[in-house]
Amino acid sequence: MMKQVNIQVPLRMLGLILGLFLSVGAFAQIDVKGHVKDATGEDVIGATVRVVGTQTATVTDFDGNFVIKANQGADISVSFVGYQTVTVKAAPTLEITLQDDAALLKEVVVIGYGVARKSDLTGSVTAIKPDEKNHGVITNAQDMMQGKIAGVNVTTGSGAPGTGATIRIRGGSSFNDSGNDPLIVIDGLAMDNQGVKGLSNPLSMVNPADIESFTVLKDASATAIYGSRGSNGVIIITTKKGRKNQAAKVSYNGNVSASVIKKYADVLDGNQYRELVQQLYGTDSGRYALLGNDNTDWQKQIYRTALSHDHNITVAGGLANMPYRLSVGFTDQQGIVETSDFKRLTTSVTMNPSYLEDHLKFNINGKFMYARTRYANTGAIGNAVSFDPTQSVFSDDPKYKQFGGYWQWTQNAPYGDSAWPYSKIALAQANPRSQLMSDYNRANSFDYQGNVEVDYQIHGFEDLRVHMNFSGDWANGTQKEDMQPWGPDNFYYGYYSKENESKYNLNYTAYLQYYKDFLKTQHFDIMGGYEWRHEKWWKDKNEYGLFPETSSTPNAKYNEQSEERKSEHYLVSFYGRANYIAFDRYMLTATLRADGSSRFGKGNKWGYFPSAAFGWKINEEKFLKNVKILSELKLRLGWGKTGQQEGIGDYNYIAQYQQPTSTQALYPTAGDGYQYIPLGYNEDLKWETTTTYNAGLDFGFLNNRITGSFDVYHRKTTDMLMSAPVAAMSNFGNRITKNIGSMKNTGFEVSLTVRPIQTEDVQWEISGNATYNKNEVAELAGDGQPIEYGDVGLGTGNYALAHQEGKPMGSFWVYQQVYGEDGKPLQGVVVDRDGNGVIDINDRYFYKSSIAPWLFGFSNRIQYKAWDFGFGLRASIGNYVFNQRKMGQRSLEYIGTGTGYMSNTIPSAYEVNYKNGDKIYDALTDYFVENASFLKCDNITVGYTFKTRDDGLNGRVYASATNVFTITKYKGMDPEVSGGIDNAIYPRPLTLLLGLNLNF
Amino acid sequence: MNLRYISNIIPSAAVALALGLSSCTGDLDVTPIDPNSYTEVAAQKLFNKCYAEFVLEGYGPGSSELDLGDAGLSVCYRLLWNANELTTDEALCGWTDKGIAEYDYNTFTPANESLYGLYWRLSFGASICNQYLKDCADYDATMTAEVHFIRALYYYFLLDNFGNPSFSENVGETPRQIQSAELFNWIVKELEDNMGGMLPPSIRKKGSANYGRADQSAAWMLLTRLYLNAEKYTGTPQWDKAKQYAEKVIKESGRSIWMGDNATTHTSSNGKWSAYQMLFMADNDTSGAFDESIFAFITDGASTASWGASTFLFAASWDNNMVAEYSQKTNQAWGGNRTRVDLVEKFISTSALEALDNWETATIVAAAGDDRALLYGDNAKGDKFDDNGNRKYDDNGKPLGLKDRLYTNDDLATFTHGLATTKYTSQRSDGGSVSNTTHNDNDIILMRLAEAYLAYAEAEARAAGSNTTLTEGTRLINVLRTRANNSDQHTTYTLREILDERARELYFEGVRRTDLIRYGYYGNSSYTWQWKGGVQEGGKFGAYRNIFPIPQTEIATNSNLKQNPGY
Repeated sequence: MMKQVNIQVPLRMLGLILGLFLSVGAFAQIDVKGHVKDATGEDVIGATVRVVGTQTATVTDFDGNFVIKANQGADISVSFVGYQTVTVKAAPTLEITLQDDAALLKEVVVIGYGVARKSDLTGSVTAIKPDEKNHGVITNAQDMMQGKIAGVNVTTGSGAPGTGATIRIRGGSSFNDSGNDPLIVIDGLAMDNQGVKGLSNPLSMVNPADIESFTVLKDASATAIYGSRGSNGVIIITTKKGRKNQAAKVSYNGNVSASVIKKYADVLDGNQYRELVQQLYGTDSGRYALLGNDNTDWQKQIYRTALSHDHNITVAGGLANMPYRLSVGFTDQQGIVETSDFKRLTTSVTMNPSYLEDHLKFNINGKFMYARTRYANTGAIGNAVSFDPTQSVFSDDPKYKQFGGYWQWTQNAPYGDSAWPYSKIALAQANPRSQLMSDYNRANSFDYQGNVEVDYQIHGFEDLRVHMNFSGDWANGTQKEDMQPWGPDNFYYGYYSKENESKYNLNYTAYLQYYKDFLKTQHFDIMGGYEWRHEKWWKDKNEYGLFPETSSTPNAKYNEQSEERKSEHYLVSFYGRANYIAFDRYMLTATLRADGSSRFGKGNKWGYFPSAAFGWKINEEKFLKNVKILSELKLRLGWGKTGQQEGIGDYNYIAQYQQPTSTQALYPTAGDGYQYIPLGYNEDLKWETTTTYNAGLDFGFLNNRITGSFDVYHRKTTDMLMSAPVAAMSNFGNRITKNIGSMKNTGFEVSLTVRPIQTEDVQWEISGNATYNKNEVAELAGDGQPIEYGDVGLGTGNYALAHQEGKPMGSFWVYQQVYGEDGKPLQGVVVDRDGNGVIDINDRYFYKSSIAPWLFGFSNRIQYKAWDFGFGLRASIGNYVFNQRKMGQRSLEYIGTGTGYMSNTIPSAYEVNYKNGDKIYDALTDYFVENASFLKCDNITVGYTFKTRDDGLNGRVYASATNVFTITKYKGMDPEVSGGIDNAIYPRPLTLLLGLNLNF
Repeated sequence: MNLRYISNIIPSAAVALALGLSSCTGDLDVTPIDPNSYTEVAAQKLFNKCYAEFVLEGYGPGSSELDLGDAGLSVCYRLLWNANELTTDEALCGWTDKGIAEYDYNTFTPANESLYGLYWRLSFGASICNQYLKDCADYDATMTAEVHFIRALYYYFLLDNFGNPSFSENVGETPRQIQSAELFNWIVKELEDNMGGMLPPSIRKKGSANYGRADQSAAWMLLTRLYLNAEKYTGTPQWDKAKQYAEKVIKESGRSIWMGDNATTHTSSNGKWSAYQMLFMADNDTSGAFDESIFAFITDGASTASWGASTFLFAASWDNNMVAEYSQKTNQAWGGNRTRVDLVEKFISTSALEALDNWETATIVAAAGDDRALLYGDNAKGDKFDDNGNRKYDDNGKPLGLKDRLYTNDDLATFTHGLATTKYTSQRSDGGSVSNTTHNDNDIILMRLAEAYLAYAEAEARAAGSNTTLTEGTRLINVLRTRANNSDQHTTYTLREILDERARELYFEGVRRTDLIRYGYYGNSSYTWQWKGGVQEGGKFGAYRNIFPIPQTEIATNSNLKQNPGY
């Protein structure tokens, strides 16, 4: 079946393309072809081109090109919001430059399956161009969005090079992480969220330098065209292109940077530690005898100043009707934890030929990426805080010979190998330096992405066009890890693993679009299309240890495990959109998408996702037309339904058996000893649906010197795909994925841009955004029990967070601490909230949420002649964090709870100063939940633009600092914690960067 | 204007698109392509699963097929062990793992996650058997009879722990609630109807055919347990039946009490492994000790391993100090399960204990005059250094040479508050090497002949209405004492002495809770132990706790269920 289809798709396309080519040259030569650009040379997309005195009009395309029929010598006017209208005489080819009307640019935005004038939009859509001047270190496209767009929260996972970020648009609608990820569309190809080894997220495969624009679709009237994948918002990325008839332009963009750790975790040094042990146990104690004589700062043993560099070369131009762009980028980023680094090579090729008087246009993109990631053993980060500071890094003692000379906590070895008499105490901390040095863990990843887009405006019936896009993504990642037998993590046998993962997505879409202007003032357009998508992944893994030479079975494999996995799913869709614009003031948009998914069984495969929206340009009304101060005022109202099917398995509705691959999971009573495990399944599984209501106001004042928008929304998700408990014996899993539960998100977003000074010498722009989102879990699965999660290292089954009805998602579920008269927490004294005289798990309460209701972004950019200066700030208010590090060190005595080994503590332990105890409510209380609101300065940049010759070399040099400062009350290392639990993450560094742009 | 081209293009494009549509919607009908997924059953593999559910996580160590929290903690055997040992006078554990403290203090509620895990694991096991009987009953008559036995075993544990659990013989239907007496009768009938079709009784050590499979004697032993406790389940005691099946096990199972093998030179710190110790060693599936096994769960560090079976039994009761003292073959030592002082007193008085120079296992065994007293305090002989000249420390970080461990359980969180036990060890009696240095090889002998001896002695006495053992019962107990090198042999034993003997013989083997209930020493009893009911000196709790509550998640998801009275 699948094979057939793979052939069918290109065949279908071929037929169409052949049909199109047959018509070459069959048309008259009365068209005016032109290209519209702005003063900076950027294409103007969506400009209205009109033959003066007639009804003939068109709109410039994606590349600023247009074709219009006109009599020789007729006047042709080109207008576009934000620019002065230009009128020229018709000629076969025209090159038109629009001058800024105000500073307002970027008026045409890419939307789902098409482009639209911003002024005609009825949905909540934010388009940004990457700020090429005001930014810090950018290795991933996610860095360009952080703090820039209202309603969009970007949280990087950690400071490790190549790390991905969690992106959330207007909160989330699901309890599983992948069910909250927005859909990312790169040059028309919807990316999957299924990473492969070494690729953190779909954005990591695009070179940020190649990105032309981001469009974020936020409400359902904008995203419903993506149907089942639109619930979490859509981010559309388009990459840069070359321009017609233009000589090749070469540019170079590069930087070097140095990163350092911003703040070391506060720990006791060797002397303070020795003093503490003496004070707690005395110098005669066994524990004191365990101490060494050194004073090692273990954090200094794992962190370094990391050097990185990044280079991009671009060649862009147009060979006649064949615009092209080639770019090569190379990034080499060191991590501040020793051994970690990230190298990436990206190349991209874009060609946009057009034929048949621009009726037939191609957009061909090819991207290739190779990345090599070396992962540090991140266990070293926690151990650098907790390892005994009185011990030395190395020891000459022959006891440590088998440990590579690294000092470790040792015990008698169980191996029965006289050459290896000691092993590391399993529960003791590992020497962090040895952990890094003994582990060689790297991934090589390849990604190929390409698409061919064909757009054909039908000859003689120019109101109608056919658009097709055939796109695909193939990625492969191989991760290999070698842990030396002398290393503490897999002592004696070592550990060798290889995991290979591949995937592809194939996507084919085609739509027909029909435009009609009539009665001078009415516009109508409609489109309808079809899409087919296939995602498939497969992987295999092999891991083993090796018996040392000195063992009785030298070099034999120890506990070898192999595994092979494979899965796929299909999505087949039909979609359509209709727009009606009356009097250039009233706009109606309706969309509908039907998605069929292979993830659901008979009767539930198809989901239908409609939307409708209304827009009203109020300032165009007579009563406001003369209000000069007002340059724009538009009301938008929208409603729609979107779907979600991520975070569930591909076959959750099919009854099946799984055979475990582990060779340790045999039960040899019959046959080969392997088991068949019957899996839980749900035949009734269906789509999760989110209904969104959105009202927005776009405004501009003082000739658009002040612009902004305000949106208020309400989202309700129903039939949530959730793992829900089922009755024992009724199914083969205690929890199965069900459509159960609902959630609400209500909020508003404001964004505002002010340009206080716009003169020839000085341009100053300030923009800010604010987001408020109130999340509430409306209904949970069956048993009324909260869904607990968030392990804080308190024995199994004890979690700090939970989702509960009537509470925001990700609330802390903890005991309520009682404090003494001195304001200090009383150990093990918590409020008996249910008043039954016993402290048990029913005394927990919901206290604050890990997810910030308030988000703010602010950026400032000022340009004075050749100099520019900018900075970006970002704030998050109302997010709380469970300080696991502080909780884990609540008693000073924890330095000696292990047998035969010691561990360090942190100064806050003196403050809390509990006794060693077994009560879970010593630890799981609101005392350890801290306000982690913060204001961060993401970057400060200073640049100087130079020009050596008017037509030649020009460029810019700049310096920037990234992650400059953080203002917070939070006492831990970094208040920005994804998931609400703070525990030894790879620190985000402070980076200083020097960069250079050159254009030849 | 060349309309003829347009009129060709549009229809052809439309036709091309439409052709694609019909074929592509067919793509939505998929079947799993994962190489480990199967939509057709394989009888042997499902058969293996019926057994494996008792001791394995599912997909290998640390990887569970069910969503019950920590994979290792939610293995059926471990959940069963915790529920039946930590709630009694034998054992306690200081971990903060959810549900554990509620067991230690007998304050478990319907929200207890360990109980939910146990309920699900046992029910899931029965469901797998139901599936086998539905799809594979015709595959092999012996295997089918055996699956009836395994299902009865799951239901026996549901009966004993939860009283009135969910019940279904089918697949995919919401189960009804069965009452204790009805379930008892059903299990008895299942066993009596099917045991004839099971394998004939025989000792099947590792390496021999049908190793690991339950034979007819396993059914007899299970019936012995059921009848011995019939009063709890049905209100009517059935001592005669209990005696009859115990006798059948003793006489017809072909098993024998392992008396030790003097021909073998065993090495250990005290020079020799006792016969009793050998029952709990890594080679207990190949040594003579297996002669005593009626039914055992297979465990093997390399091929049948989990964090909730043999590895748990061993690692949870050892800490690094003990490993330093008695060099081990696996590297896990978690310091969790230890004895309550009440168990220690079954072997030796606390005053006698205090009089000892040290609390090494060999010293305590000698002082108790019983090989079964595999307890451990610490090495107080002043042996401060190990063989390699390294200073040795106890759990509190104090150097050895000081007797620092408590035999009482003052602080639950401190592993050294209470004597440890070295009953489960990762060593082999033949000194050979083990298959894995993380996971243990020891098979878990679920039912062994000694239990039949004790059951017979008790049933015989009770059937005769006697408060003391009759001749045969006395003889059987003395056999066990002889094996333990205990010279204190009586001519009769009181029922209470039988219970104490059961503690000495079967402690940490998961039967204590049932025994105490049968004797009326559990709920609402003045028989007490340290921390009983959450009171350090020993309190009381209601008789309703003789069965566990139905987990609240089950009550919420299955409207057929009613909570057990009292909860």
